Amino acid sequence: MLIEGAIVYSNLLALLSLGLTLTYITTSVPNFAHGSIAVLGSYLALSLYYFLGFHPYLSLPIVFLVCGLLGVVCYLAILRPLIQRGASIVILMIATLALDLILFGFIGAISDSIGGIAKKFIFTTYDFEVQGISGVFFFSSAVVLLTLIFLWFLLFKTKFGIALRASMENPALAETMGINVEKTRIFSWFLSCALAGIAGALLPFKQEIVPLTGSLIIVSIFSASILGGIASIVGALVGGYLIGISESLLTYALSFVLGTEVLLYSKVVSLSALIIALLIAPRGIVEGLRKWSKSFST
Amino acid sequence: MEQIVLNVIFWFGIYAIVSISLNLEYGLAGIPNFGRVLAVLFGAFTVGGIVNRFFIAYYGIQGELIESSAELKTIMNQRIAEDPSFGILLLLLYLAISAVVCGIIGAIAILPSARLSRDYLAITLLAISEVSFMVFNYNTSLGGGYYGISLPDVFAFYAGNRQLLFAILSLLLLLLVFILAERISNSPFGRLLRAMREDEDVVKAYGRNLMFLRIKISAISSAIAGIAGALFSLFTANFIASNFTRIEWTFYPFLMVLLGGAGNNKGVLFGTFVFVTVRQFLTVYKYELVETLRIPFQTVWIEYIAFGLVMFLVLVYRPEGLIREAPVLKVAKKLRARSSESSK
Repeated sequence: MLIEGAIVYSNLLALLSLGLTLTYITTSVPNFAHGSIAVLGSYLALSLYYFLGFHPYLSLPIVFLVCGLLGVVCYLAILRPLIQRGASIVILMIATLALDLILFGFIGAISDSIGGIAKKFIFTTYDFEVQGISGVFFFSSAVVLLTLIFLWFLLFKTKFGIALRASMENPALAETMGINVEKTRIFSWFLSCALAGIAGALLPFKQEIVPLTGSLIIVSIFSASILGGIASIVGALVGGYLIGISESLLTYALSFVLGTEVLLYSKVVSLSALIIALLIAPRGIVEGLRKWSKSFST
Repeated sequence: MEQIVLNVIFWFGIYAIVSISLNLEYGLAGIPNFGRVLAVLFGAFTVGGIVNRFFIAYYGIQGELIESSAELKTIMNQRIAEDPSFGILLLLLYLAISAVVCGIIGAIAILPSARLSRDYLAITLLAISEVSFMVFNYNTSLGGGYYGISLPDVFAFYAGNRQLLFAILSLLLLLLVFILAERISNSPFGRLLRAMREDEDVVKAYGRNLMFLRIKISAISSAIAGIAGALFSLFTANFIASNFTRIEWTFYPFLMVLLGGAGNNKGVLFGTFVFVTVRQFLTVYKYELVETLRIPFQTVWIEYIAFGLVMFLVLVYRPEGLIREAPVLKVAKKLRARSSESSK
């Protein structure tokens, strides 16, 4: 039960940090609104259930599309004008912070419009079980697997994938080679935000959602991305699972020593992991391990 | 109306202190401190959670922090009412210790990412402030948590409108902070910070330690922001962690700095004034707004959306702010003097 919960949470965190990494490598800006996009996904799923009676699992494709399109709109309307004006990375970060505030405003407005239940909600009662294992375990794992297969196929088997990898490595060079960098950015914002939306729609099966959840989960997302290496897709997955599992299991283990009060402070674990990662291997453990193993061969 | 003016003055003073501190760090040194709220939070916490703990021990009050703080408040208020100089001394003590504590906190918070690039700085500072906010919010034994703890009224001797005194106090402190910030901006240290903002490699090539520079300016600006936090909690006469949100004390100060003009203290004052006035009008006409628009949710959400859009518009159309950063005062004066000499 505990391990199952930890894996579900890690699956979702891996999806989130994967999305963050995708936009980071194509647009080179850490998206501070990523947590709020996920929570918007949660509230979208809640609204679909509340107004139209859609089961949260059935609304996943809708959430995927809507959040993905929202990501494209955010990129085209907010980031692209700034990039075209040659804005620095700090200005772009502030822009995503502003985007976070705007999304938070919308989340709050949706929550107030639905009323009562939306202030704090959870989906666990709508979940099913197969041999004692919750449905969200299968769904979240399936989404992660599908995403990975899709990404692998896309990146290594298609021409667009080659273009995508090239523009990740060196956008200026890729552009001179005739690759449409703009297209790869739009694609990455679509996929990133769509995955965040899915993770957000599945998150209420695991924990309570309030409008402010986004600003807490962003800590875990950033920790996962940086721990794995913010510019590495494999790193995002590794980081997602490491942070997800340590946040659940380590806090649980600590609760035996320090009392159950500790369970509230799972984010302290992520923050500590983030700080340790920054001190030891600021480029992430995937890159760190690669360098470490190289030091033997030479 | 008088109340509105007093509100605007008080909020202008307190927000201007925070945005000037942010201007030193972001506008001058180029450090994107997305965790400005951390210093404000700790400044407020220092009053109720650190200094008052010593007073509680001194008076020998027993019990949990929340109850003993309430008891301390009655004792202190009585003493302040009898002896105004005690209240003033207490006020200065609170402000001074808050500044010291926040200076240390600011220096510690920037340590993990001080040698890394700006995106790492922003992420780490934001993460630290968010987690601190959460811990203070949940942990009731640290600083009262969501129940909060009550603080003594340092102006308990004054029978009239205490908001008047706080408005004057915030302006006085702002004046001191402004003079300090101007001196820093025009000093060799300030020029070094500007150089670091423009090109880190050049500063490195001249043998300066970037990490040390960052820690130093972060400590100074966090100390200043801590004063604002202490002032705010003394004004509300309580400490509740949930008052110290990222939006209120990180995003809005950034908006004020960018609106006024990053790197320019006078511009930041102007930006703060515009923001505070607009916001005060929003607060006053909130209910009328809800009724005329017939919206089914609180106006605060519209406020967030609107200010987010304002920030975006500033970034796109006015990235240098309403008032552009002026050339460094001393250098400009010297150049002028030299050119007038040569023309003779």
